Amino acid sequence: MTRTLYRWLLWLHPPVFRRQFAGEMLWIFDEVSETEGGRLLLFDGLASLARQWLLRSGSWKVAAALILGLMQVSAGGLALDLIRRHSFAHIAVSTPVARMPINLATLIVIAISLVGCIAVAVIGLAQWVHHFSTRRIRVSRRGRLCSNSAR
Amino acid sequence: MTEDFSPFLPLSPAALHILLSLAGEDRHGYGIMQEIARQSEGQYKLGPGTLYDNLQKLMIQGIVEESPHRAVNDDPRRRYYRLTRFGRGVLAAEIARLEGVVREARVHLRSPRRAT
Repeated sequence: MTRTLYRWLLWLHPPVFRRQFAGEMLWIFDEVSETEGGRLLLFDGLASLARQWLLRSGSWKVAAALILGLMQVSAGGLALDLIRRHSFAHIAVSTPVARMPINLATLIVIAISLVGCIAVAVIGLAQWVHHFSTRRIRVSRRGRLCSNSAR
Repeated sequence: MTEDFSPFLPLSPAALHILLSLAGEDRHGYGIMQEIARQSEGQYKLGPGTLYDNLQKLMIQGIVEESPHRAVNDDPRRRYYRLTRFGRGVLAAEIARLEGVVREARVHLRSPRRAT
């Protein structure tokens, strides 16, 4: 049962990693589970799965894009709601919502702040990704070059 | 030509243990795990996920490579790994760095300053 689960976990890893190491990892599972049980290896497999998809395969960029997208949708929804409340404030004077009308200037400030925050977040993230990826490429290239020249 | 190992230092604990285990001989993944447990007297245990994540990174960096070494009646799933010459240099540089840290720590621990 645990072996089947572990195989599934390995199968769910990114293809490059799976092709390179899954066979060996299953072999280690077979060796270790006889003596120490497979539960710890299952946790290790789960952690590895998360690490490979989120940190190594670049899928965290998709996750970050999703979060930013959600932020944008939420900000848009909030702004729309504020506009609606402001526009209909004079019609439904008796409703509790209309008792606190929002001034147009406040609305504009909120909208500008939201757009500004999103822009700063996107620019910051893009800078960080650029720095992270160029450093990684530089380091791995240097290592390979040095390794080849040492042979 | 003097090689610059500074971009690779300091090594993570997992990477350091993997390189140390490969310094003596070529080993397969399970052999690396066992050697790490032996060297650290069971205090540091590496799971296969962490091991192969680090091995992949070290192979991309040219510090570790796959070895053609095969034993008779070996399981075909086993693959052996070894340090490259560059990897040996990185390990030596890391050990020198750690020696400096230990030396510094000893000096400070021997003569503790009293707060005034």
